[in-house]
Parts: sequence; C-alpha cells; structure tokens
Amino acid sequence: MDLSFSEEQEMLWKSARDFLANKCPKTMVREMEEDEKGYVPELWKEMADLGWIGLPFPEKYGGGGFSFLDLVVLLEEMGRACLPGPFISTVVLGGLPILEWGTEEQKQNILPQVCEGKAILTLALTEPSARYDAASIQIKATPEGDNYVISGTKLFVHDAHIADSIIVVARTAEKASPEEGITLFIVDGKSPGISTFVLRTIAGDKQCELTMDKVKVPKANILGKVDQGWGMIKKIVEWAALAKSAEMMGGAQQVLEMTIDYAKERVQFDRPIGSFQIIQHYLADMSIDVDSSRVSLHKAAWMLGEGIPCTKEISVIKGWISEAYRRVTAQAHQIHGAIGFTKDHDLELYFRRAKAGELFFGDADFHREIVAQQLGL
Amino acid sequence: MDFRFTDEEEAFRKEVRDFFEKELPPDWPGVDPDMYHEDSFEEIHQVSQEMQRKLAAKGWLGLTWPKKYGGQEAPLWKQMILEEVLTYRGAPGYDAYSFLGGCGDLILEFGTEEQRQKFIPPMCRGEVKWATGMSEPNAGSDLANLQLRADLQGDYFILNGQKTWQSAAHHADYGLVYCRTDPEARKHRGISIIIVDYKSPGITMSRIVHMSELGAFNEMFYDNVKVPKENLLGELNGAWGLVMAALSHERTYGVQLIVNIKRDLDLLVQYCKETRVNGQPLAKNALIRNELADMAIQLEVARTLGYKLNWMALKGLNVITTANQMKILGGILTQKLAILGMQILGLYGQLGPAGGNWRQMDEKKDKWAKLGGRMKHLYLSTVCNTIAGGTTEVARNAIATMGLGLPREPRPEKK
Repeated sequence: MDLSFSEEQEMLWKSARDFLANKCPKTMVREMEEDEKGYVPELWKEMADLGWIGLPFPEKYGGGGFSFLDLVVLLEEMGRACLPGPFISTVVLGGLPILEWGTEEQKQNILPQVCEGKAILTLALTEPSARYDAASIQIKATPEGDNYVISGTKLFVHDAHIADSIIVVARTAEKASPEEGITLFIVDGKSPGISTFVLRTIAGDKQCELTMDKVKVPKANILGKVDQGWGMIKKIVEWAALAKSAEMMGGAQQVLEMTIDYAKERVQFDRPIGSFQIIQHYLADMSIDVDSSRVSLHKAAWMLGEGIPCTKEISVIKGWISEAYRRVTAQAHQIHGAIGFTKDHDLELYFRRAKAGELFFGDADFHREIVAQQLGL
Repeated sequence: MDFRFTDEEEAFRKEVRDFFEKELPPDWPGVDPDMYHEDSFEEIHQVSQEMQRKLAAKGWLGLTWPKKYGGQEAPLWKQMILEEVLTYRGAPGYDAYSFLGGCGDLILEFGTEEQRQKFIPPMCRGEVKWATGMSEPNAGSDLANLQLRADLQGDYFILNGQKTWQSAAHHADYGLVYCRTDPEARKHRGISIIIVDYKSPGITMSRIVHMSELGAFNEMFYDNVKVPKENLLGELNGAWGLVMAALSHERTYGVQLIVNIKRDLDLLVQYCKETRVNGQPLAKNALIRNELADMAIQLEVARTLGYKLNWMALKGLNVITTANQMKILGGILTQKLAILGMQILGLYGQLGPAGGNWRQMDEKKDKWAKLGGRMKHLYLSTVCNTIAGGTTEVARNAIATMGLGLPREPRPEKK
C-alpha cells in the first residue's frame, strides 16, 4: 500500500493552488454569481493553455492523458477557490462521455475544441420530476428521416445557456423497463428550437431551464447505442458525483483551515476562543469529517482510474461528504458567530456551495439507496 | 394538574385568530418573528406598519402593561396566547424589540416615572419602533467587553464608538444602548444603559446584508452624540443586572421560533400530500414519513416545554434555565427543519427569490421555486438562530452554571 501522491500530482496541487489564489479572488467569485454567463472567458482560456481542461483526455485530442485521480487533485483546488464556471459540465458531464462512447468522428470534432477551451459542453438529464432515475426520462425523441426530433423541458441543466454542445437524454422507445429505450444525443447548443434561461439558485451557479421545441438532431449525433443509454447515464452520474465530491472536499478543507485561524485570532473573555474546550471539540469534529472524507475520495478516484468497479465507493464518498461538508460549514458558522453569515464574509460562499454540492448528482439519500443495492438489499 | 386552556383562554385565542383571518390576505405566507422581512423590504415594512396600528387599536400592544401608560392590565396568559397565534400565522407588525425584545418591559421595570410616561404610551399606540444596541465588533459573546463610551458632560452624555448587528436600527426611533460609563471599573461594573433617539445628530449607520440577502442588521457609528442625562435607564454603571433581565426576555424568543416553524412543518406536510413523484405521493414514502414524524415529535416536545416556560413565568418562578433551554431548542430545531425541508424538496430546494421575498418572485428565474422558495430561505436565515441574541454556547454555559450549579470555567491569569 502506498497512499502518497506522485511528484507530478504534488506539482499539480501546488501550481493549481497558486494559480487560483492569484486568478480567482472572492470578488470575482461573487461577481460571477450575479453575472449572466457565470464565468470569465479569459480565465477559461488560460486554464485551457495550462492543460487543465484537457487534463483527462488523450494527447491525440489535444489533452494531457491524466487519470481521474489527477482530475480530483485539480477539482479539490477549484473547490477551495470556489472557482465559478463550466468545468465539471464541460469535462465530466460532456467530455468524458464523448471520449468513452463517441465515434472517432465525434471525438475528433469535439474533444480538441474542448481541450483548447473553445467548446463548452453539458448534459441535459433531469426533467421537472427533478430526479436521477430512469422513469423520470419522459422527453421523447422521434425519428424523422435522417434526424430525430426532440421536444420538451429539461431542468437544472448546468451551463446550458453557454453550451456549444448539449448531451440530451431522451426516450426513444417505450419498453417494459424504464431503463430501456433511452438514448443520448449530442445536440448543437445553437440549434433552432432551443431556448434556455438561468434559474436563481442558492449558490448562484448557472442551472437552466432548457426548452426544446421540435429540435432536429442528425442521427449521426447519437452518442453510443440507440435505446441503451441508461447504462451510460449510470456511469456519468458516478463520474459527476465523484468530481463534485472532490470539489466539495477542497471547500471543506478550506473552511476547516480558515476556522482554525479564526479561533486562534478571535479574542473574547481575554483569550482566543480556540482555547475554549467547546470550540476545540467543534474543530476536532470538523477535522474528523474532513480527514475521513479525503481518504475515501482518493480511494474511489484511484479505483476508477485503475478500472476497478467502484460504484459503492463512489456512493460512499458522495453520500458521506454531502452531509459532512454541510456539517463542517454549519459548525464553522457557529464558531465564526455573526461575522460569518454576512454577505461580505467568505464563509457564506462555502455554506451555500455545500448545499448545492449536496444536491448535485445525488444527495445523501440517493447514494444511500445505491449503497443499499450494493449490499444486496 | 390540568393541561387544558380555560374557556376564557380559548375564547381569546379564537378572537385573535378571527382578527388575523380578517386582516391578513388569505395568501399571506407569513413573516418570521425575527422581523427580518419587515425590516429588509420596504413593501413588507409598510404592511407591517399598518398592522401595528391595527394591533394598537385592538389594545393588543402592551397588553399586560399598566393602563396609565396606555396598556390594558390584562393577565400575562393573554399576551402569551396573542404571541402564539400571531407567530403561527406569521403576522407582521408586532415589534419584537418593543415587546419580545424587552425594551418596554425594561423601561417599565427600571425606568423613572418620566421615562415611562414618555416612552411607553407611544409603544402601546403602535407609533414607534425600538432597537437594542448591545454587540460591538469586540463584544459579542463577551458582551461586558463593550467599549462604546458615554461621558457625562454637564446635562448630557456624549457617546462615541461603534455598535454592530443592530437589528432594525434603520427603522427604529429609539434604542436601549449599552455604554461604557466608567472605563476604570471592572469590565461589567462600568456599563450603563442609555435611551438614545436614533435620529440624533452624529449617528450614522450602514446596513449589513445577511447571506440570505436580507438587510436587517446595521453597523452604527456614534460621533459625539449628545443624549440628555435623564435618558439613563436604571443606575449609572448598573447595567449588568439589567443585561441579565434583557437577555432572559430575548430568550423567551425560543418559544416564538418553535411556534413559527410549526407553520413550516405544516407546509411540508401539505406539500408531501400533494406532490406525486412517479405516480406516488411523497407522503407515502417511508423515509419522508419517518423524517416528518420525527420533526413533529421534536417540535411537540419543545412546544410543550414552551408552555411550561410560560406557566413558570406566570407563577413568577425563576425561568433562566428553561428560557435558555428553549433558546437552544428553538435555534437548533429551526435549522433542522430547514435541512429537512431542503431534503424533501430535493433539487427544487435550491431555488427561490432573494431574501425569501415572495413579493419579488421573478417569472423566469424563480419560475420553478416551490413553497415560494421558503426552504432555501430558511436554510440560509436560520444559521443565525443559534448565534443571535446569545449563542447556544453561552446559553449552555448559563444552564450549566446557573441552573445545574456547576463551577465556572477558570479565567486566565491577568497579565
């Protein structure tokens, strides 16, 4: 057993932290919450030039050929910095599925653009039932000549308003099981009949209502096999849950560190509040949440990278950190007192993101159900 | 023993219910007893002001206070029923800082005859709003560390310094301001309470915005503010005894918090009955049933403790332990309810208008918000319920030392 990171990973860690500390100040984070687009295109280009967006893609598409664990390292630092923008949407929700199941032509058309920072991708999965199960996929795609025609509303679609390509999940056949008859389509974000608007969310991230009115998609844009999309979705949900867990990990770590600093500096009753036993116990509990999360996160990411089945491990970490990050931020608020819940304090950014992260691709209840299934229940 | 209310009490409860039935729009979603909505949004403030005048016309402001100051000399149980009904209905216009916050009670108890004559009748007429100036940047839990100076010069106190977390100060006419009047004395022996006209020259304030986007708090700066010396409340340098009285008034606030979120629990129950997911009502989901029932148990137990607290107050018993227990329960259970609400709403939970202001729902951005974005709002706003008005940690210390007789934590050696 060797639980250390490679030299390259350590370097990635350090360079990501330095870069984001410099390029992603909290003033920018707050501006992007209000901004319609929700990201800074110049910064996106710089990240592409650093090879971050292409990180997990093979070199022949302009990527870096790194593993999921490397991606996790980067995502932790993004979470620490509260980096706004369509990184998980583009790389994990859009890019990885195309890499895994796309035709060579689809990969050639899209992945180099992604790696260069010229294409933003996303996935349109959830509908107004707001659930991640197969029965909730109700939107139909109907064949018509060389095309499929899709109409209906998708909800909570991250970054759809700026996406160049959207992977749309639709029903192509009514079968006995809701898991059958689902197909994935790569839809041009500028197609006639597509309209989007951004919803007001707790974390100011950019989740959209996406309406499709008789949107035509060429049959060549089917991703993977017709009617067999649900197995792909299950994988994508796992990747997304793991990627978000990494981002949440970095946020939780940052919150723990800033709260320790505050407890040492803040003086009440003639002593630092960190000298009070109750505050020490709070911080000790927070450290348990943070340190336990990290090992399980890295284990799941390592397994995924090694090709070892890890459905359970991914649900363990997402189920755990969904509540752990919330506990950590809530406890941090208690220690910070009133100053922490003002709009000007960094802590509130993390408190709101902890909740958004919890909801993203399965909350704790959702992942506990998967663990229950893995137990054979 | 008899847990029932008397016929007279039930009749008054009905009278209050009927009043709000008539006076509030049927779709009024309810404001919280912290008054943050009323203090943050002008249009809700206006509704609140109007209701304040109507409550005054009913004689329900200062219900228990002496008639000679504009009160009704009604028994305390009446006020408790009034507060319970209006809190459950989410009614605006009951100035927490005059009544629940204890400014009125403190003036009646410790004020001079002139002060009572001057300040109490306008409260009963619903013409004024009050605030309390306690916290400062370096005086939070350690309130006795407050530094705002009030120096007696001739017939005036001259106030210099800063207060913070001043709820409602921007709407307030007056405040009870805790000032350092003897810098040489030991920390808590040199503090006085002074009644300050918040429109006085030399006072400036700036709004602090809460993460829920409510702007109900203020930072206040005092620059040579002149206050007539007759505005001293109680003894010079004698505030500490009054602080304890004031904080115990504020801690009965725990009951209000519990009553208020019973309304939110009822909302969630209704939502689960009406909302079907994949053909099945949420109310049939075993996990959700369990969570809702668990929440109902916790609220019921806390509410019943609240009745005991009221009964103890009616009997004139020492309520400091129970009031602190209620304060802690109120804070924690409001947060638990918000977490549960978010869990039930799932992805929808994260949607809702800024500050939970149902009057400013955007037809697109907030189109999909459920329950008017109430759970998102509660999730953010309840963070301060275990902090404001005394943190749960300070309340636990009070229970441990004053209630359970445990020794105080040793103080560090003075350098």
